[in-house]
Amino acid sequence: MDLIISLVINGLATGMLIFLLASGLTLIFGLMHVLNFAHGGLFVWGAYAGVFSYAYSGSFIVGIIVAILTGLVFGFITEKLIITPVYGNLVQQILITLGFMLVLQEMIKVVFGPNVVAVKVPELLAGSWQLGDIIIIKYRIFIIFFGFIIFGLLHYMLTRTKIGLIVRAGVMNSDMVQALGINIKRIFLVVFMTGSALAALAGMLFAPYSGAIYAELGMEFAIMAFIVVVIGGMGSFQGSLFAAILVGLAGSFMAYYVPYLSLAVNMIIMVVVLIFRPQGLFTTAKG
Amino acid sequence: MNKPILLSRSNIILFIIVLALVAFPFVMDSRTLTILVTQILIFGILAMSYDILLGYTGIVSFGHAMFFGIGAYCTAIMLSDFESTIGVFIVSIIVGMLIAGILSFIVGLLTLRLKSHFFAMLTMAISGLLLVVAEKWRSVTKGNDGFTFKAPEVFKDRVIFYLVVLALLVIVFIVLKRFVSSPLGRVLIAVRENEQRTKSLGFKTLYYKVIASVVAGVIAALAGSLYAVSLRFVNTSVLTMEITLDALLMTIIGGVGTLIGPLVGSVVIESAQHYLSGLARDFPIFERWIIFFGIIYILAVIFFPKGIVGTIQTKYSQWKIKRNQLDVAPLSKSKESSK
Amino acid sequence: MMTSLLKLDNVNTHIGQYHILQGVHFEAKEGEVSVLLGRNGAGKTTTLKTIIGLTPASGGSVTFLNQDITKKATYDIANLGIGYVPEDQGIFGDLTVEENIKVAMRKETDESKEKLEYVLNLFPDLKKFWKKAGGNLSGGQKQMLAMSRAFVNDSRLLLIDEPSKGLAPIVIEKVMEAIVEMKKQTTIVLVEQNFIMASKIGDSFTLIDDGKTVRNGAMKELIEDDELKHKYLGIG
Ligand SMILES: Nc1ncnc2c1ncn2[C@@H]1O[C@H](COP(=O)(O)OP(=O)(O)OP(=O)(O)O)[C@@H](O)[C@H]1O
Ligand SMILES: [Mg+2]
Repeated sequence: MDLIISLVINGLATGMLIFLLASGLTLIFGLMHVLNFAHGGLFVWGAYAGVFSYAYSGSFIVGIIVAILTGLVFGFITEKLIITPVYGNLVQQILITLGFMLVLQEMIKVVFGPNVVAVKVPELLAGSWQLGDIIIIKYRIFIIFFGFIIFGLLHYMLTRTKIGLIVRAGVMNSDMVQALGINIKRIFLVVFMTGSALAALAGMLFAPYSGAIYAELGMEFAIMAFIVVVIGGMGSFQGSLFAAILVGLAGSFMAYYVPYLSLAVNMIIMVVVLIFRPQGLFTTAKG
Repeated sequence: MNKPILLSRSNIILFIIVLALVAFPFVMDSRTLTILVTQILIFGILAMSYDILLGYTGIVSFGHAMFFGIGAYCTAIMLSDFESTIGVFIVSIIVGMLIAGILSFIVGLLTLRLKSHFFAMLTMAISGLLLVVAEKWRSVTKGNDGFTFKAPEVFKDRVIFYLVVLALLVIVFIVLKRFVSSPLGRVLIAVRENEQRTKSLGFKTLYYKVIASVVAGVIAALAGSLYAVSLRFVNTSVLTMEITLDALLMTIIGGVGTLIGPLVGSVVIESAQHYLSGLARDFPIFERWIIFFGIIYILAVIFFPKGIVGTIQTKYSQWKIKRNQLDVAPLSKSKESSK
Repeated sequence: MMTSLLKLDNVNTHIGQYHILQGVHFEAKEGEVSVLLGRNGAGKTTTLKTIIGLTPASGGSVTFLNQDITKKATYDIANLGIGYVPEDQGIFGDLTVEENIKVAMRKETDESKEKLEYVLNLFPDLKKFWKKAGGNLSGGQKQMLAMSRAFVNDSRLLLIDEPSKGLAPIVIEKVMEAIVEMKKQTTIVLVEQNFIMASKIGDSFTLIDDGKTVRNGAMKELIEDDELKHKYLGIG
């Protein structure tokens, strides 16, 4: 029983991190039809910028803020310099975002050095609780809570605010949104920056969780996020939460029971989903 | 349609280049240079195979490394497990190509019906999966540490191996050139230009795309086999995204949809990589040479989507049209005056 | 003389490599209903899309309120006061009726609330299904929602694309009544295949064929010209 609970907590924590990464990806895709292969680069930039400023300032909160700011700035740059010039050309978009991913990843090594960086959990969140036989690691609970708070915030923004309404409308029909007098490009930029900030935040939260970060992390996590976006349905925000938790849980259980299969299982799920339900598990087919 | 002219100007130029390449190791007796040029040729084969996908069919695959890796492992495993002879080498190439062909057929059939971004993502994932398998399956692959093996005796002489690679490259080039100018190749180009319309003309585009992906996969496996022999070593790096990225960079920078372009791209990238990593001993920034390529690549995608060869071709044909107009203009004038 | 609110002069539009519009011209006069007619694939929808900037013109000019809007972005054009009701109505299926209208309301002033009140009286069904998802409305209700959405902003001009498409005669009747009612407040450019309807509510007509304007004039002229009707509309 205690094993199950700790595996669930593990899975949920990973799931929440993937959700942060995937939610930005899915919103950007849904609204702009851009599959941003550089998304993982923002994850790893958030992690490094955050961790270095956390080490420098000694404050985890400063680290988180710097990570978010990094995400916003990089999101702005990416949208303006990388996405806009090839907007509407699918092949060019795929090619260019992958190229940018490469540059982002290598830039990490130039700016922060090529070595693996060790990260400690902030004191307040370090350690664990013991409930009977069960050991609960505090930082994991923190991630789960944090993740749900972000989900709640995003959900509120999407359903209760005007801009959220516009984003949802834009996902369904962006031409019509423009014809109603809304500058969709500005909305694109806002969504892109938000998505990038979420990715960067995920990177920063992930750093103490894994204890070490390195430049290639971005690509590895991005693949997880892609899987989640596919399973959850491209453009579906709720879908990405469910799928992220599913992937997180599957990963954590598999890693324990069948470690050989752990990475494979997610990819196999994705392949199966793509082949039989390309619109994703959690979205209804649009007619 | 034009009849292929054997002695067209560009064919003559190509012929001269090939002759120069054959002569090169006998003129320049440099081991490093021979190895470098061999490497260029091998990656040239890989990049040409990628061009079939990206340049001629408009498919973006992020999993091309998987076929390259299959070729490399097949040859490496067979040469180290059986006798290291030319016969085994040839058989291993064929086996690698077969496996790659079957795999690309299955993957293509399952995934090519999807939209391009799904396809890109899925190929990335499947190739990632294969990498994970290779890393875990240490009994066969020795994982990331890899293993060395003996190359067939004749290849001890680097020049002979170089000539074999060159011959294979020429054969691949001719075969692919014929392939893309065949009726089948025309359909592929139509798919690239407008898949919907090609479909509505009654072509089963999935079928054509699968053929393209099988051809590309098989050729990539050949490149992988040669690569393994050139190093006499293999590890899981042959299956990584880096290999796919190399092929991608070469194709884009050289010029998509030209076949010659990827070769030029291979020359540019491999030699730059060689010299820049030489510079890295003095200037550490060059260790990150890939950044420069990344940036050049991004700029190329935005500003020169046709790459080096494509841009030259366009400029050349524009120039030719202009010249023809100039030729024609005085003629028509003289006609008028004679009236 | 009535001023022309919208003027298209030799408009050409390319979509991809296709040259779809090859010389469309017409004027919409303030307070009138101008009807675009022509057979399927003639280019009526493309004409509306070109006006609103979704498929921008590659040649010629579109003038609205004496401003050249040919090269303007869609949202700028909409903000100048043009409302668009597309052929497929463009309802945001997952949003409720209320939310669909909210997206459209650029500012919530007394005036826009008044306009909302006005359309809800015109289409009481919308009030009834206020919280229902737009995607679940009937075809007629979708049409009404789309028209309301275009109307709630202070649009000087409404572009309405085939509002009768796929609707039962009795619903068409209702929609047409609403258009007549809206006409009191705004100018309308209407694409309509149903000639009976078009001739009832249209003031002027523009006949488009193969991407070109073949005739403009007062609706009366067309009603009387059997040959023209036969040649281009296959009736009479
Ligand atoms: N996106 C597009 N790509 C290529 N061709 C298009 C596109 N949109 C429209 N066309 C073509 O442009 C022409 C005009 O289309 P349009 O939709 O404007 O016609 P229409 O007059 O509205 O017809 P209908 O009465 O059937 O609605 C048609 O031949 C159509 O096939
Ligand atoms: Mg139409």
